[in-house]
Amino acid sequence: MPALYALMVRRLLPPRFAVVGVARTEGDDDAFRSDMKEAVQKHARDEFRDDVWDELAQNMHYVSTDFADEGGEDKLEEMVERLDAERDLGGNRVYYLAVPPAAFTTIVGALGERRRGAKGWTRLIVEKPFGHDLASARGLNAMLGEHFTEDEIFRIDHYLGKETVQNMLALRFANGIFEPIWNRQFVDHVQITVAESIGIEGRAGYYESAGAIRDIFQNHLLQLLALTAMEPPIDFTSESVRNEKVKVLRALHTPGPKSVVRGQYGRGFVEGEEVPAYREEKDVAPDSTTDTYVAAKLYVDNWRWADTPFYVRMGKRLARRETTIAIQFKRAPHPPFEEASAEGLRPNVLLVHVQPDEGVSLAIGAKVPGQGMQIRTVHMDFLYGGAFRTAMPEAYERLILDTLLGDGTLFTRSDEVEEQWLLVDSMVAAWQRDRPGFPNYAAGTWGPPSADDLLHRDGRSWRRH
Amino acid sequence: MAASLSAAPERERWSGEDVTLTDVGRALSRLRESSEAEGMRTSVMTHVAWVPEPWLEQARVALAGMGERHPSRTIILVPDADTGTNSIDAAASLERYALPGVERNICSEVIELHLHGKRAKAPASIVEPLLVSDLPVFLRWRGEPPWGAPELDQLVRLTDRLVVDSTEWDDLPFPYRNLVHLFDRAAVSDIAWARTSRWRTLLASLWPGIADVRVVRVRGTAAQAHLLRGWLCSRLGRDDIALEHIEAERLEGIDLDGEAAPFPPGDPPPPSEVLSEELDRFGRDRVYEGAVRAAIA
Repeated sequence: MPALYALMVRRLLPPRFAVVGVARTEGDDDAFRSDMKEAVQKHARDEFRDDVWDELAQNMHYVSTDFADEGGEDKLEEMVERLDAERDLGGNRVYYLAVPPAAFTTIVGALGERRRGAKGWTRLIVEKPFGHDLASARGLNAMLGEHFTEDEIFRIDHYLGKETVQNMLALRFANGIFEPIWNRQFVDHVQITVAESIGIEGRAGYYESAGAIRDIFQNHLLQLLALTAMEPPIDFTSESVRNEKVKVLRALHTPGPKSVVRGQYGRGFVEGEEVPAYREEKDVAPDSTTDTYVAAKLYVDNWRWADTPFYVRMGKRLARRETTIAIQFKRAPHPPFEEASAEGLRPNVLLVHVQPDEGVSLAIGAKVPGQGMQIRTVHMDFLYGGAFRTAMPEAYERLILDTLLGDGTLFTRSDEVEEQWLLVDSMVAAWQRDRPGFPNYAAGTWGPPSADDLLHRDGRSWRRH
Repeated sequence: MAASLSAAPERERWSGEDVTLTDVGRALSRLRESSEAEGMRTSVMTHVAWVPEPWLEQARVALAGMGERHPSRTIILVPDADTGTNSIDAAASLERYALPGVERNICSEVIELHLHGKRAKAPASIVEPLLVSDLPVFLRWRGEPPWGAPELDQLVRLTDRLVVDSTEWDDLPFPYRNLVHLFDRAAVSDIAWARTSRWRTLLASLWPGIADVRVVRVRGTAAQAHLLRGWLCSRLGRDDIALEHIEAERLEGIDLDGEAAPFPPGDPPPPSEVLSEELDRFGRDRVYEGAVRAAIA
């Protein structure tokens, strides 16, 4: 709802529209508007304006129904038909499904039946999790395919709506200087970090069965990797971009179980406060073997990236909240300086900050002013907040607007999802055979020591902060 | 000393009580976004300073203007473990140094965190989210570090270089016994040692006559006296050089076997310049380590 409010502030919503909230909870339009107003006041990035809210609120309605009941969908359909006629909406509909997996099939089936023969366009936004393995994802794709065409399905991964993620495409394909060196000849390795300092925030029911690998790796992380490694698309249409991403996903492999590390946090400190272990969180099994951390070494088997490792790590209760993509270049082949003069020199790194401090920084070696030749690493920073005076839109604003416009570029296609699950399944299969010694890292740290070993074995180390 | 870019930096400031680190990060972003002039955020390090309240004013003086020479993010930690509340009060400021001749600025960020109650016991978990990615971390510890305490252990683990001033310690040379245990964990700089630099250059010029010195008398701080004797012992490969120490606030003179060594040329550098010099160093200072070991032998 804060995203809709932001679109309303900027006059990006169509002149005629209606928003219908649907849930099993009893309620009415006024209660729904009141709840949503509170959410907007609390979370919107813009200052709350009564005039904007009033305009949005008068287009908001609520239906209490359960699709599992016989004819449950009729109540929604009656409301939507009425609004459609009253406001001359042309029969165009966007259904946004943020529902538990168990309700998914029922709802999609009901919506699919109803839309047959309807005028106007229909689009379906589907939130994660999209399945829990390859078989279930294929099942969902097949079921969706019975009722909707692929260009009507918008599988949302909010990371793709972030400006900095899209900026990866601009950085790579709008600048002539990066692409020639964006390959195995010049890149030593790539590190992608999706770190959260928060715990599971009361979502044990979901997280216990998902873990970090399904919560983050299967979707956000692999999408970041695909955007980093993909070939230049011939244009920026949704099919061209997604064609290139899926090629990367098909080429991905991890060299074996020893190249994957999983972890689970124990007690520790975050922001100076002691926090409980994962197994001590509410509704988590005391002997849970759910992974709250995953690190892996991956390879992209193509001409551009052969033998160039992509090290990825993600987890909960890590030392800081940070999502970054670090392209570490090979060292200069023969620096003509004394060893001591370059003690403070680290390899060149192009660092894309996805969040927080959105921007890009390039670490380069520079001479320290003064006598002699002392060289150290300095950062050239591009910060979005400093360069552009307009506030950055939230990811959901962009993605909702793209759905209204029918642009699926920043959404995940069925074959992408299936390739992502294929890789996850291969990694998880190896876990069935062993019983991990959890917890194996303290909350507030950068994960288990075995994750450090993963890189040390290759003579490398994780970026330090 | 590096040329001054401007007489005084422009400064924008935010402060808050009982805040989270997310609040601090957002405040810094807003400060950057609200700036009138475009700022170039060029960082060469994260500079962490552990500054118990009694040292705070001195620390602020030493840090004033550091951003000009070492564009960085400075994080000043002021521990206050004895209060009943467990909270963080914070102030963040953006210092902007105008570049001469062009309409651009260099920006440095200063974050001052007052850690109340238990928050002072796990400082690494507070500092780590604020570190600038991939850049070296320098830790300036004011006063004598609490050897073996978790807060020291945690922060040293994050640090590339620990900067102390053993002039601020009591009962020398005994605390050096604890310091040597840190040499393999982080490079260590000692401001007291840096302040003997001009004198060491001069004493070295007395070679080979100085090789047989029996008694060294130092008019200066205890730290300088012990370190100079330790340095002579370690460099000369001896352990029989006697020390006579006459207390003074600064290094005023050295006698070798009763004969005054000549005064080194120039004036002693100001505190900020001494600290600044230490922030330009990266590797271990093996000569200093040898002097400390000899001082406690």
